[in-house]
Amino acid sequence: MKKIISSVIKYIILIFLAIYTLAPLVFLFINSFKSQDEIDTSAMALPHNWDLKYIVSAMRDIHFFKALLITVLVTVLSVGIIVLVSAFSAWMLVRNNNKVSKFLLLLFISAMLIPFQSLMYPLIDMADKIHLKNIFGLIFMYGGFGLSLSIFLYHGFIKSISKSIEEAAIIDGANIFQIFFHVVMPLLRPTTITVIILNAMWIWNDYLLPFLVLANSDAKTLTLELYFAKMQASQYGNPWELIFPAVLISIVPVIIVYVFLQKYIIKGISDGAVK
Amino acid sequence: MNKYYKKWFWALVLPSLLLFILVILVPFLLGIFYSFTGYKGTFFLKDRVATDNPFQAMVGLENYEKAFNNESFQHAFLYTVKFTIIAVVVINLLALILAILITNIKGLANLFKTIFFMPNLLGGLALGFIWQFIFEVIFTKFFFGKDGLVPIDFLTNMTQGPIKPLFALVILVAWQMTGYMMIIFITGLNNIPEELYEAAEIDGAGAFRKFKDITLPMLMPSITIVFFLTLANCFKLLDQNVALTNGAFNTRLLALQILKTPSDYLIPDYGQAQAQAVIFFIVIALITLLQVYFTKKKEVEM
Repeated sequence: MKKIISSVIKYIILIFLAIYTLAPLVFLFINSFKSQDEIDTSAMALPHNWDLKYIVSAMRDIHFFKALLITVLVTVLSVGIIVLVSAFSAWMLVRNNNKVSKFLLLLFISAMLIPFQSLMYPLIDMADKIHLKNIFGLIFMYGGFGLSLSIFLYHGFIKSISKSIEEAAIIDGANIFQIFFHVVMPLLRPTTITVIILNAMWIWNDYLLPFLVLANSDAKTLTLELYFAKMQASQYGNPWELIFPAVLISIVPVIIVYVFLQKYIIKGISDGAVK
Repeated sequence: MNKYYKKWFWALVLPSLLLFILVILVPFLLGIFYSFTGYKGTFFLKDRVATDNPFQAMVGLENYEKAFNNESFQHAFLYTVKFTIIAVVVINLLALILAILITNIKGLANLFKTIFFMPNLLGGLALGFIWQFIFEVIFTKFFFGKDGLVPIDFLTNMTQGPIKPLFALVILVAWQMTGYMMIIFITGLNNIPEELYEAAEIDGAGAFRKFKDITLPMLMPSITIVFFLTLANCFKLLDQNVALTNGAFNTRLLALQILKTPSDYLIPDYGQAQAQAVIFFIVIALITLLQVYFTKKKEVEM
């Protein structure tokens, strides 16, 4: 009996907190179909009619499809670069165990001490001077910022795998890229998933770097479009009928990915933190 | 064999080394250098003479003096410390409680994990906008206002005034980060061998004794990780701060302070912003080094 009561209490607390966690997202959803007046008077109720016109106009205002394409492009290419170059270096740093390797590893990892704010102004100046204040510059920069943690994670994992299979492949006459892509990368799969998830989550939602790099350009990421939509809408005094649908459509892609990949995402987070 | 790896070493390390030097190392060193110059963004200024050459505009420690005497920097520093302390305590406690509850139930554990983790997927900006609405409309009009369900004055208009926005930010950040930290705690809890609890039960230990003598010590590695992760994340927080108040009512955290400093002055004072950023770096670096020290110490003990 005591066990049942304590178990019921646990469920009640968890359900209450789950409702608390989901409530803001529910508010977001139901208010994405309402006019500003309806939001003001009955924010907590379901919409009178599920009018899609606010979603449609928000899509136009934040250039949804263009921004989505740009965000996908930036995230995929940046993460691709990060995975490739960090795995390359981490592999070589482990396999050539000497003073230079140790120094380089320390150098890469010590960058985790540096907050973005302490280098952003010179970085943007440099990008401006060499005409890289654009999407390519942005991808290049994410490549740099993602390195430290990724090299650290790969390095820790590669240390634990034996090099005997690689050596067998070398004797069979495989070249370095064949060895890397056919022997090493498959073994690194769990770490690669962690590296992809940690970097993609951050790059997809990042606000500051796109703001500094792309603010004056036509090509903006979803987060940046959202920021400017909010700034603009606040001036007109009826922001929410624009902001809610804009926020909703900008997070729907992420939620869809989460629903399908949640097992990997949650595992990636715990693996990434423990190492 | 080792010769083979040696032959390819530089070719394969070079891409990340180049990225690292261009994106991090050079801008970082330039940033420290610029903090000692009259850096104004597109040019350098010293004694009312504008120049393109930073070496002709060296101003010594002037930017640091300005930063330390800048009231809005002082305020942002204290505000960040206060916010970080409160948020770290709240998030750590909540995450630990959630993790313990979830590892102690039979069914639906995965569903709860999925729900609690969900806010982490969304950007701080989007979430900040939603919560701004909740604080300004839902809380103020429907829940806690004079005609609301339960009138609690403190919970109305939480994005305004001298004290309330700090707690509004804590509520928002706790709502978002707790699920992430919970995942780390759950992994830690699942790694504690069941036999320890069984042995303690045979010895007649109660729930509190088991928690204090088994769970807490065995969970120390996870607690260290979560503590420093929340500490660093809260200290560096920016997006949620921008979305919720954008610095109105003296609510700038350090990251936002550094971002806004140039435009506080008629001639954008990037030099002073850069000095603030160097101070910011030193604090962050200390926090991170402390973490490394504690983690290493734990590993030795185990």
